[in-house]
Amino acid sequence: MLSIKNLQASVGDKPILKGINLDVKAGEVHAIMGPNGSGKSTLSNVLAGRENATVTGGSVTYQGKDLLALAVEERAREGIFLAFQYPVEIPGVGNVYLLKAALNAQRKHRGLPELDAMDFLALVKDKMKLMEMNESMLYRAVNEGFSGGEKKRNEILQMVVLEPSLAILDETDSGLDIDALKVVSHGVNSLRSPDRAMILVTHYQRLLDYIKPDFVHVLSDGRIQRSGGPELALELEREGYAWVGNETNEGVVAP
Amino acid sequence: MNPFLTQCRASFEMQATLEEGVVERGQRQAEWTRFEALGWPTTRLEDWKYTTLSGLEKLSLQNSVEPREEVKGVPPSLPLEGIPAPRLVFVDGTFQPDQSIIDGLPKGVRLRFWPDLDAPERERFTHKMAPARALTAFGALNGALFTEGVWITVDAGCALEAPLHLVKVSRTGQRMSHGAVLLELGENSELTLREHCVGSTDQPTHSNWVTAIELAPRARLTLVKVQQEGLLSYHTAALHALQRAGSHLQVFSFALSGALGRNDITLRLIEPHAECVLKGVYRVADRALQDFHTSIEHDSPHCTSDECFKGVLEGTGRAVFNGRVRVALDAQKTSSRQSNHNLLLSDKAEVNTKPQLEIFADDVKCSHGTTVGQLDEEQWFYLRTRGIAADLARTLLIQAFTLEIAEVIPHFGVREEVRRLLSGTVGGNDHV
Repeated sequence: MLSIKNLQASVGDKPILKGINLDVKAGEVHAIMGPNGSGKSTLSNVLAGRENATVTGGSVTYQGKDLLALAVEERAREGIFLAFQYPVEIPGVGNVYLLKAALNAQRKHRGLPELDAMDFLALVKDKMKLMEMNESMLYRAVNEGFSGGEKKRNEILQMVVLEPSLAILDETDSGLDIDALKVVSHGVNSLRSPDRAMILVTHYQRLLDYIKPDFVHVLSDGRIQRSGGPELALELEREGYAWVGNETNEGVVAP
Repeated sequence: MNPFLTQCRASFEMQATLEEGVVERGQRQAEWTRFEALGWPTTRLEDWKYTTLSGLEKLSLQNSVEPREEVKGVPPSLPLEGIPAPRLVFVDGTFQPDQSIIDGLPKGVRLRFWPDLDAPERERFTHKMAPARALTAFGALNGALFTEGVWITVDAGCALEAPLHLVKVSRTGQRMSHGAVLLELGENSELTLREHCVGSTDQPTHSNWVTAIELAPRARLTLVKVQQEGLLSYHTAALHALQRAGSHLQVFSFALSGALGRNDITLRLIEPHAECVLKGVYRVADRALQDFHTSIEHDSPHCTSDECFKGVLEGTGRAVFNGRVRVALDAQKTSSRQSNHNLLLSDKAEVNTKPQLEIFADDVKCSHGTTVGQLDEEQWFYLRTRGIAADLARTLLIQAFTLEIAEVIPHFGVREEVRRLLSGTVGGNDHV
């Protein structure tokens, strides 16, 4: 589904990604872990198309298409969803409006008829139950005045409504208490399916107790230093990230 | 003398032929003399520093001299569709009984028109209009050249549920219109006034109205004005309000189109516990300019004012906001808020914003804030990651910025109508 080859990217003049290689197949859940400043967020931003990161080399192929050639909104309509680390507040734009416009933009792109208000509301209310959200949040402005936990729930609500092919979750667990983490994980897990892939970007192993990844990659200094199964996350939890840095310093080549 | 002034003088002299008394003639002469003494507003004057009238001074515009020049039947060119009763319609500065719908107004609401007033009434009307006309040179010009005036009084205790619509249409090119509105609300009365300023010609026009408001104790007035003037139109307007104890005034002013707009608004809180809300939006595209000069005067203790203006500037559009707040020495326990936020959508757009706080009392809460910025990139990116097209995302954010002002209009129907207007194409025809 997604094939990243030797991806290099800079923010300003500073190289952040220095040659990322990653293959994600349908049905797989990949966790990307790493210390602060390793390039985790830049990777999710490059995949979603944020313009502050400049791709300086390599390629990203998504469902056979050159992902980097697509505009941000085209990527979204092609089924890529980024759950933000810091969801943005947009006063004056209603949550319900955004959800409907987003869903219908995607449906239109796929040649499906747009949903009318009745069908749409029925769908959204159903998904809100799953996310244990109060319906009144529909009629508030996007994320405006939401608590940290509410914002993250709202991200996952959008995700379960849009049903992306590839979901990228950027530090979704940060700022969540344990109850909210369970609800959010439940929402994410409800989307797991053989034709959908997920990339979880996280600093901590905690999220992976609730969303079990198939693969874990350790990102440091702009490269994937190690890859493995879920046991790698536990190792990181025990040992911290210090060893990653050491290996890099000693010039050990990542597998 | 520039062509505009030459024509004004000709018009003033022609008005000598009107069947008016010696007193009215004298008042017009006094205003004309004052207008000449003030001189043509140029950018050398502090109040006009960023607002040049060089376009207007080249125009040679006719004033309607006959007090009643009526449009009969239902002329398709009048943009009256969807404007419900009760409504007062003025075309090129002249009242149109045939287009207006005023039967069904409650008994406590009284409408009188300048041509029908007797001599003592005319004197009182002129006296009450004076503070509004004193605000600018154009106010003086209005006093000299005005052809129409409407005096609206709402009796004590009378509350009008449906909004009263005041429709001012600039229909004929190369015309100017000078009208006066006097609004008097009795104790505990309530009114919503929706003012439409609409241009229905692509030719140059000049609309120059003055409005004077007097609110008796605990009267409540909401005034919602929308300027949708033609692309080559000039709009100058002065509004002066006097608020007595416990009265509540809300003024919403939306300047959405026109070549140049200048609004001078002065709200005076002259007795305790009066409250005013003054909010507005200006949108300018290529070559257009909107200017708001506002002054809120706290002359009495325990009064509250809340002011917020928002601007959207595209292309070579320009705007001016000058927000004066004066708190007199004995106006203790004043609470006053002011803000002005601007969205600059092009490198060539320009806004000159100036808060002007003059606070003489010491036990007050006064705040002000100004911002000038671009669209929020994070918000734009966020919407696009949800599949919203780049253009639509941009439009949505611009609308959201201004809709915040409309959200607080108390009357549901008027609020929804203004929301629809703000959701139209941003910047009118010159959308970049």
